[in-house]
Amino acid sequence: MDFSFTPDQSLLRSSARAFLDEHCKPATVRLLWDDPRGESEAMWKEMAQLGWLGLGLPEEHGGSGLGMVETALLLEELGRAAYPGPYWPTMLVGHAIAEAGSDAQQKRWLGAIAGGGARAALALLDADLDWSPPAAVTRAERTADGWQLTGTKRYVAWPHVADVLLVPARAPEGLSLFLVDPSASGLTSSPVQSMDPGLRLAHLTLDRMPVRPDETLGRVGSAGPLLLRLLRRGALGAAAEMLGAARRCLDMAVGYAKIREQFGQPIGSFQAIRHKCAEMLLETENSHAAVYYAAWALDAGADDAGTAASIAKSYVGDASRKVCGEAIQVHGGIGFTWEYDLHMYFKRAKGLEAQYGDADYHRELILGAVAS
Amino acid sequence: MDLNYSPEDRAFRDKARRWLEANIPREDLKTLAERKAWHRKLYEAGYVGTLWPTEYGGWGATAMQQAIVQDEMARIQAPPAINGLGIGFIGPTIIVHGTEAQKQRYLKKMLTAEEIWCQLYSEPNAGSDLAGLKTRAEDAGDHFVVNGQKIWTSSGPIADWGILLARTDPQVAKHKGISCVLLNMRQPGVEVRPLKQITGHSLFSEVFMTNARAEKSDLIGRLDEGWAIAQTTLGYERGANSLGRVTRYAIAFNQLVKATRQLRRHGRPLIEDPSVRARMGKLYAELEVQRYAGLRVLSALNKGESPGAASSITKLSYTEFEKRYYETALEILGPWGQVMTAREEFEEIDTASGEAGTWATAFLWARAGTIYSGSSEIQKNIIGERVLGLPKEVRADRLKA
Repeated sequence: MDFSFTPDQSLLRSSARAFLDEHCKPATVRLLWDDPRGESEAMWKEMAQLGWLGLGLPEEHGGSGLGMVETALLLEELGRAAYPGPYWPTMLVGHAIAEAGSDAQQKRWLGAIAGGGARAALALLDADLDWSPPAAVTRAERTADGWQLTGTKRYVAWPHVADVLLVPARAPEGLSLFLVDPSASGLTSSPVQSMDPGLRLAHLTLDRMPVRPDETLGRVGSAGPLLLRLLRRGALGAAAEMLGAARRCLDMAVGYAKIREQFGQPIGSFQAIRHKCAEMLLETENSHAAVYYAAWALDAGADDAGTAASIAKSYVGDASRKVCGEAIQVHGGIGFTWEYDLHMYFKRAKGLEAQYGDADYHRELILGAVAS
Repeated sequence: MDLNYSPEDRAFRDKARRWLEANIPREDLKTLAERKAWHRKLYEAGYVGTLWPTEYGGWGATAMQQAIVQDEMARIQAPPAINGLGIGFIGPTIIVHGTEAQKQRYLKKMLTAEEIWCQLYSEPNAGSDLAGLKTRAEDAGDHFVVNGQKIWTSSGPIADWGILLARTDPQVAKHKGISCVLLNMRQPGVEVRPLKQITGHSLFSEVFMTNARAEKSDLIGRLDEGWAIAQTTLGYERGANSLGRVTRYAIAFNQLVKATRQLRRHGRPLIEDPSVRARMGKLYAELEVQRYAGLRVLSALNKGESPGAASSITKLSYTEFEKRYYETALEILGPWGQVMTAREEFEEIDTASGEAGTWATAFLWARAGTIYSGSSEIQKNIIGERVLGLPKEVRADRLKA
């Protein structure tokens, strides 16, 4: 049993941090916040060169075939940098295509994703805001030359930059997945402003949107299990990102508590502040254990892998909100200003709480699994 | 990262499980003699002193295997071994700081529970500020004469020996004049009075020492350097058992599930109430996170890394969790959760004391964890200063010294 990282994994983390410290500084993030597109094409190309965009994709399609532990390490660093962009949705859709796509779909998309030539988004939530995959109410109806999709998708991340959009919809045969072209007719997108300007969201309306027969992913009518696995993988990745945001806030708070003086002493010498920092460290370390246990379980195919991902998402959601929020408290007034960087990470953590299934949804999954 | 158990550890677990299933006592152990006999049997099978070096009568196994033993014992709800303070903390202190003669004299009998040990550290006016202790040990040639009062002494009435912190030099700064010495509890100058705790049990005692005698040959380490030794003792105490503890929580969780199926409110079983389900899902998630964190510590220990001050994080984490755990359980169970005496099947849960009780007793016991062995506030000070490197506070006693 070894809970520590291999030298290769540690190297991945340190090189990711070095790259992001240089290319994704807080000032860069702020520029992208004000950018209409919201993400950097140049950064995306560099991420492709670093091998990040094919990290978990099969080697025959230009990927590195690495696992969830490595992916989580990278996502933690991206969260620590409050990186704005469609990295994780793109990886998830790539994963779904690698798992269930036809040869043609794999050829069409995987190399393009790994090489930086394609981005993706996934529309997991319908109008009634129920995260449970079987609750999808968007309809898929057969037409003379394929399908047409009708429904509303809510809070979809990064659809405006996506080249391909993964859409769950209910066909007469049951829950099905479609890989659609976001620029096709029948789809209208209206942006909604998230609390986190580094997370671009939109509502999508699908009005008899035409879909070709070769744009279904996997077997029509049996997408439920794949979709649940994908949702949980997404949730785990979000937990890793939230962990990174928490780690950043903890570091900033501790650093500040050492130098900020009041009453003639550094505020970190006061128990009121020190105890807060200790609690923040506890929550961060427990979150680390939750994220990497779940990542390992997923890679190892452990029986509790699904439950562990739900545990990581619900636990780290609470923990990271607390850690980032308390970092603001430790800083006092300066922490509440737009100019100070803390809110970037606070907002990243909070924004992800409502993605890939919220805590209530995952807790119900957890209880359902252990008390069935 | 590889969280699979090694083939050796899996084989070790299988063997321990089979042995426990074959040997677990069929009846409740009532007397001390019965508990000592069970302890002896565990020891001879290799399940007590698992981590101790073989030269001192232990089994020289790994931290992982020690954790596996505790885990399997929790799983089958076996009666615990006794002399836990001795074997877990006092013995290792003697191994590190004791003389060869002390090791030969005390260690084996401690392991076999021929002699039961207690810890004589806290005093009525020296709790979190342990270095403020007042018990005196005065030089009388070949021995010390000990006068003072200790408190929160576990196993006091059954203890044969104690590890004592006492002041040997009152003239110097408070951390500097303390010595660590072994005290024979079976002598006229030592009086043990059981204290009743909020659970109604008496697992702690007060100990009064009046001209008690401690031999100089029983001094651990050097004179006046007992404070550093106390730190290692506490260091062993923090962050020890991890798997067994979580297994006990998990057993209690299964009993909670069972109870919420049987208890009804608003015309349906409690477990069908969405607010109950949300709380239970959260509880289980927290319980599992304690397990993951425990595995992480265990993996470090197993590689020979010392958790050091980081073990304060573990202690803080599980004791605070345990309070939330039983608070939430009692909230869910409603009036029924407060019952101290009912003997229905799913009420018999393993409390923090390692003994069976009701939900109410477990709830009450949970208050002890965040106080004993360094309160949560002390743990947070340690984490803040030694893990995060935050500046020390300005303290009145340091200004004076």
